[in-house]
Amino acid sequence: MATVEFKGKTFTVDEDGFLENLDQWNTEWVDYVKDSEGIAELNDEHWKVINMLQDYYKKNGIAPMVRILSKVTGFKLKHIYELFPSGPGKGACKMAGLAKPTGCV
Amino acid sequence: MAERITDIGPPHFEKFLPPVIKENYGKWKYHEIPEPGVLRHVAENGAEIYSVRVASPRIMSTLQARDLCDIADKYCSGYLRFTSRHNFEFLVSDKSKLEPLKAELAKRGIPKGGTGHSITNIVHTQGWIHCHTPAIDASGVVKSVMDDLFGYFGSHKLPAQLRISLACCLNMCGAVHCSDIAILGIHRTPPKVNHERLRHLCEIPTTIAACPTGAIRPHPDKSIKSVVVNEERCMYCGNCYTMCPALPVFDSVKGGVALLVGGKVSNAKTPPMFSRLAVPYLPNNPPRWPEVVQAVRKIVTKYAEGANKWERVGEWVTRIGWEKFFEVCEIPFTFQHIDDYRWAYDTYRTSMHFKF
Repeated sequence: MATVEFKGKTFTVDEDGFLENLDQWNTEWVDYVKDSEGIAELNDEHWKVINMLQDYYKKNGIAPMVRILSKVTGFKLKHIYELFPSGPGKGACKMAGLAKPTGCV
Repeated sequence: MAERITDIGPPHFEKFLPPVIKENYGKWKYHEIPEPGVLRHVAENGAEIYSVRVASPRIMSTLQARDLCDIADKYCSGYLRFTSRHNFEFLVSDKSKLEPLKAELAKRGIPKGGTGHSITNIVHTQGWIHCHTPAIDASGVVKSVMDDLFGYFGSHKLPAQLRISLACCLNMCGAVHCSDIAILGIHRTPPKVNHERLRHLCEIPTTIAACPTGAIRPHPDKSIKSVVVNEERCMYCGNCYTMCPALPVFDSVKGGVALLVGGKVSNAKTPPMFSRLAVPYLPNNPPRWPEVVQAVRKIVTKYAEGANKWERVGEWVTRIGWEKFFEVCEIPFTFQHIDDYRWAYDTYRTSMHFKF
């Protein structure tokens, strides 16, 4: 378990860079992750995806299926990849501070 | 993202075909197996190609792969292929190179075989080399079993082909559910719940839904965001650990091996069959797994003695009956053998036909 210091905030992360303690999420975290995820500047569309993921997670306790993410945000999978080059799981969920995707990925 | 190339797919297989195969693609007349490990395919125009099949450990270093490439360069104009059971085939177009190739393989100690009514390579998984959910190792068990059954690899002395597969957990990656003999890693202890970490690492609804017996439910104390496992209902499949890292299930002492028999995928003579439980538990005993090796050998020997020509293990067992199978293989029949999952009823005997 490693800790990261960024703009005065401390984050505990695992070896893949996902938050080990979900309570530590804040906007600085998004700012910190965006570089390693190949995102230069965050726009409204990025935030729309991040907010949707967080709302869904708070309400249902799980990350949404890709088709639900697409349907609710109105972004096709192709566009989600344009926003988050590593994809909805490794990119968007990591930034939104959701638990790391599991299973045979 | 600059200069990133994507979605180009694998290179077209035609690029790597020996000229003889390219010219006679779809125009083969017949094939024969002149000796174990060597196949001869003859085309309509009389052209022929020899494939020399050799064993491989599946997991290999680049140095080993380069060695095989060197051999292919020397005798096969650089052409070789891998089979669907991870054997290598050297494709010899020039018949005069066949004997020198065989001599070279013998000199290097690379065994040829795996054709016809033999025990060819064991389809297996990652085990303790790379996976995080295994109950047993893969490569170690495979090496031990193949060492013991090596005589069957380079010979055609069985009644029919005998496929052995291994999967290191119940996920059954590979072909264990449809192999003549299957080696399967099983757990025998319920997962241990890490209540502290669970909330951060896992999606609780997914974890609950992962359980085939409904043994997982939310923690009764609403202030604790975690799950509890009803150990009476748990059959230790480890599915929940796949979904949730806070539920480790591996136990080095209690985990072990189950053997299944009688599966097949081909439609020859009889329809494809699933393999069924033969030995419910054998201990995990690295590095040579003597109990597993011994049990597999026993089944192979009894099958080789008892089966008719062309009869696969599953067909042999169906013919003699399961009670006879347990008798000749000297495997004690236990309550674990009796199916108790959902559609179990169809596996019970609803007939007066049985042998004492």
